[in-house]
Amino acid sequence: MNRTLEKLTILSDAAKYDASCSSSGSKRANQNKGLGNSDGMGICHSYTEDGRCVSLLKILFTNHCIYDCAYCVSRRSNDVRRAAFTVEEVVDLTINFYRRNYIEGLFLSSGIFKDADYTMERLVRVAKTLRQQHNFNGYIHLKAIPGASPELLHEAGLYADRLSVNIEIPSEMSLKKVAPEKNYPDIIQPMNYLSDEKERYADEKKHLRKTPLFLPAGQSTQLIVGASPESDLQILHLADDLYKQQRLKRVYYSGYVPIATDNRVPDIKAPPLVRENRVYQADWLLRFYQFSVDEIVDEKHPNLDLEVDPKVSYALRNPEKFPVDINKADYEMILRVPGIGVKSAMKIVKSRLYQRLNLDHLQRMGVVVKRAKFFITCPGIQERHKDYETTHLRQLILAGDTAARLSPQLSLFG
Amino acid sequence: MVSLYLYDGSFDGLLTAIFECFADRRQPQDIVSQDTYQASLLDELRPVTTDINKAERVIAGIDARSDGRGGELVYQLFLSEQPGIELRIYRLVHLLMRRNDPGILDNFADPDVLYCAQIQKMIRREVHRMHAFVRFQKATNDVFYAVISPDFNVIPLIGDHFQRRYADQSWVIFDSARYYGLFYDLNDLSFIDGDSDIFQQASSNPIGRAELEGQEDQYQTLWKQYFSSVTIQERRNIKLHLRHMPRRYWKYLVEKQVVDRKR
Repeated sequence: MNRTLEKLTILSDAAKYDASCSSSGSKRANQNKGLGNSDGMGICHSYTEDGRCVSLLKILFTNHCIYDCAYCVSRRSNDVRRAAFTVEEVVDLTINFYRRNYIEGLFLSSGIFKDADYTMERLVRVAKTLRQQHNFNGYIHLKAIPGASPELLHEAGLYADRLSVNIEIPSEMSLKKVAPEKNYPDIIQPMNYLSDEKERYADEKKHLRKTPLFLPAGQSTQLIVGASPESDLQILHLADDLYKQQRLKRVYYSGYVPIATDNRVPDIKAPPLVRENRVYQADWLLRFYQFSVDEIVDEKHPNLDLEVDPKVSYALRNPEKFPVDINKADYEMILRVPGIGVKSAMKIVKSRLYQRLNLDHLQRMGVVVKRAKFFITCPGIQERHKDYETTHLRQLILAGDTAARLSPQLSLFG
Repeated sequence: MVSLYLYDGSFDGLLTAIFECFADRRQPQDIVSQDTYQASLLDELRPVTTDINKAERVIAGIDARSDGRGGELVYQLFLSEQPGIELRIYRLVHLLMRRNDPGILDNFADPDVLYCAQIQKMIRREVHRMHAFVRFQKATNDVFYAVISPDFNVIPLIGDHFQRRYADQSWVIFDSARYYGLFYDLNDLSFIDGDSDIFQQASSNPIGRAELEGQEDQYQTLWKQYFSSVTIQERRNIKLHLRHMPRRYWKYLVEKQVVDRKR
């Protein structure tokens, strides 16, 4: 028991820099009165004190590693305590945490011990034991170890809901510098293989109902922001390609947390959290708001504005497209208004069939009026907003945000 | 004189009262549960006898006029226990009957529709929170016990989820504020109250909180350790933490109990 506690401490601490904790998007029902299911929306069972969702038991199988990647706590040359679980220990923890409703399932990653296949084989064995010996239908996310053989990846795909290969460093040139033993083809090949296999299974499913599930929740990856000099333009183009070509479900971004001094990575005081947040907002615009990368950043503005969110930034750079008429504009254009999200936009287009909407209606529907008011027209809007110069508008928005920060009363009751 | 429809506090009772309003062809001034009614000489009382058939006709009528969405919505509104919710429900039913257009439930510019949508959102959030924040403890009789005290009466809405998920373990979820709960015995799901035998069968359970199953404390310790070691100190953000996990939910969360230092 004490030994398990010690291993858990070491191997969860080393796994926490992986941003992904999603447990949604799978289609695994509880079968034959077994344990668990992962066919609904994901559930965050708890939240860490840094405000991140705890949905899965996220651990490394081991933090022993043959590689020496500069950005990673588990790198060979780093002096940290090392540990390794057994397959049985991981299975036991997963089942017992799951039965108490602590978690949605398991996220198992690992340092590379011996070689890629040796490591991958252990991860697959954990998933296989859970599925076959314990009839466990909860969520399983495994790391696909770069360089692992197609046979093992295939087997992993049969037991796991999601696999991920982390790219981490968003350009091949930088990767060579900070992780000299890794290369891009080793990372991209498993992604392509898995993406093709998933498609093959989906095709087969059309003809044979009994086709087994293969990676029902698809693939994801992670990019570290701020450990290498890539611009947001490069990062977002890479993400966009990954969504389109490798059909990834999610790209996660992790603001580089300075974990030790290694002269191959920048020596920064704190993780670039604002930038990370802006990149996530831009990613959202790509996936849910029908924006293209070039509308968010371009050669002239290769980096996201840290002061205002990318949607405001877009609106300020394209004043000719605003104000948007709430009662007439297409859904696509309403979606582009700062302060209006996907849900509010849907509410607007459904409700305006019944009556003309005014500012009061928008406020009650959940539109962030203090933001949207500069970019829309509808009854109740003061016309003067139209005449503001872009720079003036920017100042007004920034001043509004500062005022909100200086009067925290509201958030106390939030 | 004020016309007050008095019902027995049950959902079927409320639906019967709504049925009677339509049958009487009058707008109720209010629909009140017997438990909360305070007598007044000015009231013209219209007591209602609960009738399952009438209740079912009301639900069928709502569903037929709302693409099947209305019945569920009305039940969720009822479970919100908000003051005056009965009259709100009546007005929503009236709107659906009058307009006979399912899309009307998407007209968020209508104050009644908007109010109901907001209450429904709160109920769904509470259901989701209970899916997340229930913490089972295994007792000596191999039953997993959990205690909750949700903001709304969501016990009737959460059983399906747990039955689907924990099909191979027996469990109890008990609402300590409303003093009733759910019991799944590996075959059937049933409602129980706080006097149920299932609380005596185990030599201990979370309501008594004496000794639990041998390994229970170990797994709780492991979980607490996991919870504390996944926090990234450089990113600490307590405000965000509290927004996701308000303090009132902490008392039943294993990981938010102070770590035992004597180890």
